[in-house]
This record gives sequence, C-alpha cells and structure tokens, in this order.
Amino acid sequence: MTDAYAAPLDSLTRLRGIRGAMVVAAQDGLVVAESLMGGVKGTPLAALAANLAARVIELSARAAVGEPRFVHLQAQDGSLLVAPAAEELLLVAVAGRDVPLGLIRLEMLRLAERLA
Amino acid sequence: MRAIEPWVVTPLRSFVEESSARLALLMTTSGQVVAQHGFTGALDLMAAAALGTGIIASSGELALLMDWTPFRTVAHQGQRQSHFLGWFDTPHGRWVALVVFGGETKLGLVQVYFDQLVVELLAAAPPAPVQKQEVLAADFERELNASLRALFGR
Amino acid sequence: MTEDIRALSAQYAADPSSLVFLRLAEALRQRGQLEPALKIALSGLNRYPHLPDAHDLYARILADRRDYASAFDEWDTVLRLAPHHIGAHKGIGFLYYRAGEPEHALYHLRVAAELDPGDEGLRAAVERVAGGREIWDVPLPVSPPVRDAETRVAPAPAAGDPFTGVEGAGQRLLLVDRDGLRLGGALAAHGGRDVSEETAASLAGVVQEAERAARLLELGEWDHLTIEGTALSACLLCPTADTSLLATMDPGHPVGQLAFYAERGAKEARAWLERAR
Repeated sequence: MTDAYAAPLDSLTRLRGIRGAMVVAAQDGLVVAESLMGGVKGTPLAALAANLAARVIELSARAAVGEPRFVHLQAQDGSLLVAPAAEELLLVAVAGRDVPLGLIRLEMLRLAERLA
Repeated sequence: MRAIEPWVVTPLRSFVEESSARLALLMTTSGQVVAQHGFTGALDLMAAAALGTGIIASSGELALLMDWTPFRTVAHQGQRQSHFLGWFDTPHGRWVALVVFGGETKLGLVQVYFDQLVVELLAAAPPAPVQKQEVLAADFERELNASLRALFGR
Repeated sequence: MTEDIRALSAQYAADPSSLVFLRLAEALRQRGQLEPALKIALSGLNRYPHLPDAHDLYARILADRRDYASAFDEWDTVLRLAPHHIGAHKGIGFLYYRAGEPEHALYHLRVAAELDPGDEGLRAAVERVAGGREIWDVPLPVSPPVRDAETRVAPAPAAGDPFTGVEGAGQRLLLVDRDGLRLGGALAAHGGRDVSEETAASLAGVVQEAERAARLLELGEWDHLTIEGTALSACLLCPTADTSLLATMDPGHPVGQLAFYAERGAKEARAWLERAR
C-alpha cells in the first residue's frame, strides 16, 4: 500500500466497528489502496462505492444539494460510508451494526480533507 | 441477445443488465462467436471477435516474453466508451469476453460482474464432450458462418 | 413481577375492557417491558380510539422504542383531541429538544409548565432548554414558532399533497414513483427555484445503486441514505417498495434530525398512498 494512504487507512480501521477502509479511484471504481478485515472483498466494495457516489453526485447537482462531503448508506446489518477526498478519489469505509457513526464520520471527513 | 449455446443466455443477460454494458460478446480463442448482445451487424461482430481474440493473444505473448503471469483481463478506457476483455477456462475450452461500456457504469463494476458471469457460466456449462473434434480451417469458416446466421437470425 | 403489576394484571384479566390497561401498560413501560406494554396499549387503543390518555400512553411506549416519528404523531393526535394535555406537550417538547429545535421544544414545555405550575422538574427543564435566558417574564406565544425555512421559499403545497401540514412541505420533501415521476411534495433550491422534476428523474438511479450496494456487500436491506452536501443535507428512503422520498435540510442541522424528519415524511407518504389507493 502507498505510504501516503497507509496511515490514514490504518487510523480509520482502528475505530470500533470498521470492517474495512479503502481509497478508490472515483472515475473507474478501482482500488487505489485498502485495509480490509478478512471476508471483506475489495473489488466489489470499490466498484459499488464509486457507482453509488457517481449517482449521488448527479442527484446532488439536480437537487441543489451542492457537492457531497459525506455519504452514508444505512442498512440493517451495517453501513457503507463514502467521503470524496482529493479530485477523483473517494475514501470508503464499511462498518458493522451499532458502531460509533458520529466518530467515524468525523474521522473520515478529517482524513478526506488530509488526502485532498 | 443471441447465442449459439442456449445455456449461455441467462448468465449473459444477467451480466448485461447488472453491469449496464452496451455491447457484450462471448467467443472462443479462435474467434468463434458463442453469444452476443448489442451488435447490429455481422461485419462489426466478426471484426470485434477477431480483434478481441488478437488482443488477448498478443497480451498473453507479451506476458510470456516478459516472464509475467498472463493478464486475465485487459481494459482500454476512452472518453465516451471503454472496452474490457477477459478470458476464462470452461469445459469447452478457453473463452474470451469482450464488453463495451460507457459512462453509465464503471470499469470496477464490469470487472465485478465479469467475475460473477464466469462463475455462473461454469455452473451452467454442460460437461465437456468426450472427444474434442479438431477444427479444420474449412470447418472453422463453415462454423463461423453458421454461428453468424444463428446470431443474426439469417 | 412486582405486586403492583401482578394486581393490575389480575384486574385487567378480569375485565379487559376497563381503563386499567392504562395503568398496567404504564407500569410495564416503566419496568422496560416494552413489548407487553405495547400489546396492552394497542388493545386498549382499539377499544378507546378517542381517549387522549390512551394515545399518550402509546406515544410514550413508542418514544421508549425510539420510534420518534410515530410517537410525535401520537402526541399530535392527543393535542387534537385535548389541546391542553400536559403529557402530550411534554412529549412533543422532548422530541423537539432531541431533534435540536429548542424554540419549538421551549414552546411546548412552557405550555405544559403553565398547565401544571407545581411541577418543579418541568420548570427546571424549561430553564435548561432556555439556556439561561430569562424565560418566565416573557409572555408565551399563542402558537408555536415558525421556522425560517418555512417562510423562505416556494409555493404552498397543492390540495391533496401528501405532506400538507408537515413542516417544510412544498420545499423540502419530495415523493417520487419508481419511474422517476413526482407523486407529491416539492423541493426548492436556495433562492426558491423549484428543482422537483429534475431531482425526481435521478432518484430511481440512486435507489437502485443503494439496493445493489447493500445486497452485494451483504449489509442487509438498506434503510436510508444521507448526503451531506455543501448547500443542503439530504436523506433518501423508500416509504413503500415502489416509491422513494427525498427530504432536505439546511446543513447546519444535526444529521440525526434529518433522518428523523425524513422518517416523518415517509409516514405521511405511506398514509397518503394508502388513502389514494
């Protein structure tokens, strides 16, 4: 993993409930760097997060929401979290249930800013 | 969608729907078309099949020459359209998939659904024929023409 | 089981149509036994649908179960039946406070405090929500405060709109069918420009992606999607299998409040769809 991404991803995966974190190329949905727990597959996570982010960006433009800073998909058994970072990069995390989402959100926003 | 092998239809249709591919072509490494979605002309199809298998063959040779593991997939990304090529082994020999996609989807997603397509095709494939028939040049052309007729309904 | 609950249960068993269900369900709620409390409250509510205390009891149980949107609606029903119901004003005040709307919370808690001036706890709550401001000498407004956003934009909702009466109707709640066609509500950008139709058209794509991501990542069924944007925050959810709803708020509001607001919109939408169908 590139050093530039290793430290931010490690600091994110140390938070309780995070199953994996990665930096994803927004345009093609491919993995740039990843730190994943066993069982989490990086390729689909990157692809799905990038596709969702693309749709959200389109919706946000149409609904006058502005540029998305943070996206949170809440599901029954966990969450998918996406923070657009540097141009063409997404910081992505997948978390389990009953996790400190507020803390994770703040950390992701901070790291996304740092990556930018 | 048209297919020479009927068991290919369901996995390929699901792949096209899920990946939002514009064109999809399944062929053998000799360029014989097995199934296609989205091509409207026989000539386009033949050219795409020949070029696609050629790219896979040449990138494989390049990998051998450089002592790399052969690339399983190759992607060329363009401004408005991109294409993806991948090979996989079936009980009926090595097949190649050529996928053309646009901005409505992403390379990562095409890759994810390609992996799924391979799994589904392998699950649906009937057992390999006991004795593989050698394909002669004359037979090959006849087979190719027959497959084009089947794929375009004429 | 305490003597109290045992005795109340016996009374309830002897005469299920009596009002003892109120005391029994409340006793169970206080002991944290929310499922039996809910069962008894609902059966009582079926017998006494116009009894404000039955709705109040049901609302308290819902609030304990963290179903705040439904609790709000129940307390709202209580106030329609009995505008001076102390419990309902306290409950709604609590929900507004929790949702980060202190002015609304203050209004309802002050109404409750005026109705029950001897309740010291209530007075302390009012002072805490007022944040140290002098409050008791300021006259109580005749109606709850109107939010800035409500006066800012857009036309009033059309007759038959699913969100009539909900805060922000006509500018912050949009209901769309599976084909991306607007069913009701409206969205307005800052400055009042109506962006409903163009938003509706792209909602289906986001819903599809959300469903796919949740399914393939094995996250279970998706519940809602929040987007924190530079101009607005938005929350997307599906009130029914064939509709989607987008709720927006100014970015300064707490994110948790947005999901609460969207869920309230979804509840209105479900009721409206049921009536329409």
